[in-house]
Amino acid sequence: MGRVSELMDELTVCGHLAAARVRSEMQYRLSFALQIVGTFGFYTIYFLSIFILFGHFETMGGWRVGEIAFLFGLAGLSFGIAHMVAGGFASFSDLIVRGEFDRVLLRPVGAILQVIATGVQLRNLGDVLQGMVVLGVALRLVAIDWTLGRLLYFPVVVLSIALLFVSLFALQATLCFWTTEATEVANAFTYGGRDLARYPIHIFDGWLRRLFLFVIPVGLVVYAPSLYLLDKTDPLDLPTWTRFVAPVAGLAFALLAGAAWRLGVRHYRSTGT
Amino acid sequence: MRLYLEVARLSFRRHLAYRAATIAGLFTNSVFGVLIAAVFTALYRDRAGDVAGFSLPEALTFVWASQSLITFAALWGWWEIATAIKTGDVVADLMKPFSFQGYWLSRDLGRAACHFLLRMLPTFLVGGLFYDLALPRSPLTWLAVAPSLVLAVVVSFGWRFVLNLSAFWLLDHRGISSIAVLVVNFFSGFLVPLAFFPPELRAVTNLLPFRAIVMLPIEILLGQRAVAPALGIQLFWAVALALLAQAVLASAVRKVVIQGG
Repeated sequence: MGRVSELMDELTVCGHLAAARVRSEMQYRLSFALQIVGTFGFYTIYFLSIFILFGHFETMGGWRVGEIAFLFGLAGLSFGIAHMVAGGFASFSDLIVRGEFDRVLLRPVGAILQVIATGVQLRNLGDVLQGMVVLGVALRLVAIDWTLGRLLYFPVVVLSIALLFVSLFALQATLCFWTTEATEVANAFTYGGRDLARYPIHIFDGWLRRLFLFVIPVGLVVYAPSLYLLDKTDPLDLPTWTRFVAPVAGLAFALLAGAAWRLGVRHYRSTGT
Repeated sequence: MRLYLEVARLSFRRHLAYRAATIAGLFTNSVFGVLIAAVFTALYRDRAGDVAGFSLPEALTFVWASQSLITFAALWGWWEIATAIKTGDVVADLMKPFSFQGYWLSRDLGRAACHFLLRMLPTFLVGGLFYDLALPRSPLTWLAVAPSLVLAVVVSFGWRFVLNLSAFWLLDHRGISSIAVLVVNFFSGFLVPLAFFPPELRAVTNLLPFRAIVMLPIEILLGQRAVAPALGIQLFWAVALALLAQAVLASAVRKVVIQGG
């Protein structure tokens, strides 16, 4: 019982922190509105670009425009959720550089919860909305056979992708315990992973594909389940069961990221500023 | 003039200092280059032949050239002036006996020269090493690319300068910044070459300055466009945006005076 009420206390504190964060985000009203429009538009132009390309090409690696749109929507929606939750990890280097992480460690609330709560980015609601719109368009272009299995698996896939990307952002943040200079390298995996998730993974060459299938399992949470949802054949001939391991892959990667984070916190020495 | 050269030189040296960021940036640009190259390769594999005037090697050249341009032409924004406005430091710069616009242009050209060496060339070399690119055989074409790149930076600077000045009115630049990135990404031809655009949309891009930042230099490199008219369009936008910037600056300065600094 003690542990439960302790957790409730932690969550209440984090709720207050998150609310304060959202209020500060909305301080400049016009700017905030423009940012939502901006994030929405950002993904819209990427999607528009694909449509422009498909004005000249019939298929990409055997996938039609509606199927690519499905990947765009699925990846966009899920990444948007992750980006909204994990904004604190994405900008974690600022926290370290300014020495504010010391304050986080001093509070009697878990560090991960605090970083998440103080970094919530409501403006990334734009991505989430955009992902939904693109999914809507995709579903008009491809007819999915919504069996019960597919209907139940779809939300699981969305959450698995979101979990994977939150974990990737957490790993990026963990890197900051050692260096704050090279975080741009991590962008290749977070934002690069997002971009890669929008295409059928078999179009990528050997090392890139293997990296994003087996090391950072973006392919296992987006591509493989989409083969099942869209009922596509797989030129890679991955075993059929790989289409159903999205939640396992997401959870395993999250556990890995959590372990790395704890290692990082133990390694952390304040800059003293 | 010597003052501005000195400003550019100092800015060049300042940007030379970020070594780790340079290597990290090269890595990131390259990963995205590989990724987008794979997308174009997959598209061309399914449909042989030229598309919208682009062969596959030309499309791949576009991919690596556009990745190379990101930092060089500061496509995704640059908010040093806006930050100086927010903190109030801008007042000191405005009082100094030099052209405020000329001072920042010199700084930006120094920055771009540094990024040309540290970011643009290496990124493009990575593409050239690993991909079959359509590179010009005539040295004259390479020679034409040089002024086109300089003009691309000047046009990009004019646009960024105006955006930065908006901080005098809006204070917070993040909103404007997120809109600006997507406008540039799309209308400059960074995401998809403008030749692929449907005619109506193409007509819109012809009326905007952004193709002078990305598409025109690349079209010159690929030999898809006569050099002189292309440079003419870039020059036109460089001058037009400089004049616009001057007008916006003048009205911003009046505002500062009214506020009493």
